[in-house]
Amino acid sequence: MTTPAPVLARAQAMLEVGRPQEALAALGTLAADDVLGPAALRLRCAALAQLDRWPEAGEAARVGLSAHGPDSDLLYWLACAEQHAGHPELAERVLLDGLALAPHDTDLLCAYADLCASEGQVEKAKKLIDLAAAQEPDAPLVYATRVKVAYARGEDREAQRISREFVAAYPANPFANALLGGVNAARGEVGAAYASFRRAVAEDPTKGAYAESALDMRIAGHPLMVPLRPIMRFGALKVWLVAIGLIFGLRVLGQPWLSFPVALLWLAYCVYSWVVPPLVRWWVRRHW
Amino acid sequence: MQDELFRPTIRERAEPGRPPWRPDSIYYPAFFGGPIAAATLGLINGRRLGLARERLLAIAAAGLVCFAGRVAVSVAVEGSGALRLAGSITGVLVALVVGIFQRRPFRAFVYRGGKPAGLVRPGLLAVLGCGFLEAAVIFGLTR
Repeated sequence: MTTPAPVLARAQAMLEVGRPQEALAALGTLAADDVLGPAALRLRCAALAQLDRWPEAGEAARVGLSAHGPDSDLLYWLACAEQHAGHPELAERVLLDGLALAPHDTDLLCAYADLCASEGQVEKAKKLIDLAAAQEPDAPLVYATRVKVAYARGEDREAQRISREFVAAYPANPFANALLGGVNAARGEVGAAYASFRRAVAEDPTKGAYAESALDMRIAGHPLMVPLRPIMRFGALKVWLVAIGLIFGLRVLGQPWLSFPVALLWLAYCVYSWVVPPLVRWWVRRHW
Repeated sequence: MQDELFRPTIRERAEPGRPPWRPDSIYYPAFFGGPIAAATLGLINGRRLGLARERLLAIAAAGLVCFAGRVAVSVAVEGSGALRLAGSITGVLVALVVGIFQRRPFRAFVYRGGKPAGLVRPGLLAVLGCGFLEAAVIFGLTR
């Protein structure tokens, strides 16, 4: 009977270079006994997760847990699968079970931080990711979760800083580039965002979401959208305050005749900002 | 500290309703429609985001207070120009309150991969409907 070790090693190697389909194929060649072993199931979960086949990953994790008892890696995959299935309360219970086994497991801490952030519990998420970062500051998952938690807390500048560190440390990682694209877009830096998403697409052409985001940035970078850049850069509130300040200020300074055209211009700008983006979107998509 | 952190705090999410609007977009109908328009849109968006009851009441209160302020200004000051400006400023104030409460929940919505709904048509409806209502009330009270 051939040992499973070389097959498992091959599957692991395929996962590390981002070829999950081949990893699954390798695992499929295992004997019936080995394919349900804990190591094989962990690799299977990881491969299915890379392919975004979350229901199957959850299933594989459950099979492993019922056959071999609690295992922090399998609990991690099960929690992620439940989160993707829209069951955050269940995902939390699974994560807490895992953390009871392995309270310093950075994958579990990152997953819990991500879950808390997605439920709006951002302070708790920050404490969790700080714990993980204290142990493994250079792990890609830790970087990625730090970016996401900063974004969830509305600290866009901080998220951008960490994201740049992440890309500097792992320049070929498609997710790192996609995250940087996302935070650049959140800060209104359209050109930088487009470049980041292009790199993400180049590193992983199979993820449609990266190409979609690159297209969105192309739309935002269209010349007709240039007047709307201040809103993208500084946010709607600041632009509004400037407009109100101008219109009100002109009246107070005793120039009401100037205030009226300014108000009209502002109205035209508002209409422009409603009408033009859908048109540009339609136009760019036609010619993508 | 870890014991504190490892306590379950997540509740099952309520049934997702219609997708919320971007809170930043509410400034537009607030400027043109006044505080009642802003509060109405703010309340609807608050429900879509699953805001707590106290927050929703605070938004409603802000709307009423700013509307009262607008009425006070229109009684005290002559001229329709000031009326318009008071309406815009009080509207934006309400939108500010809405924005403060809804910024984080909206971020969480986007974080989960949600796509916001468009505000153009409901915004126009709010401006016309609530704006007309406000104007009628103010005219009734002041003239």
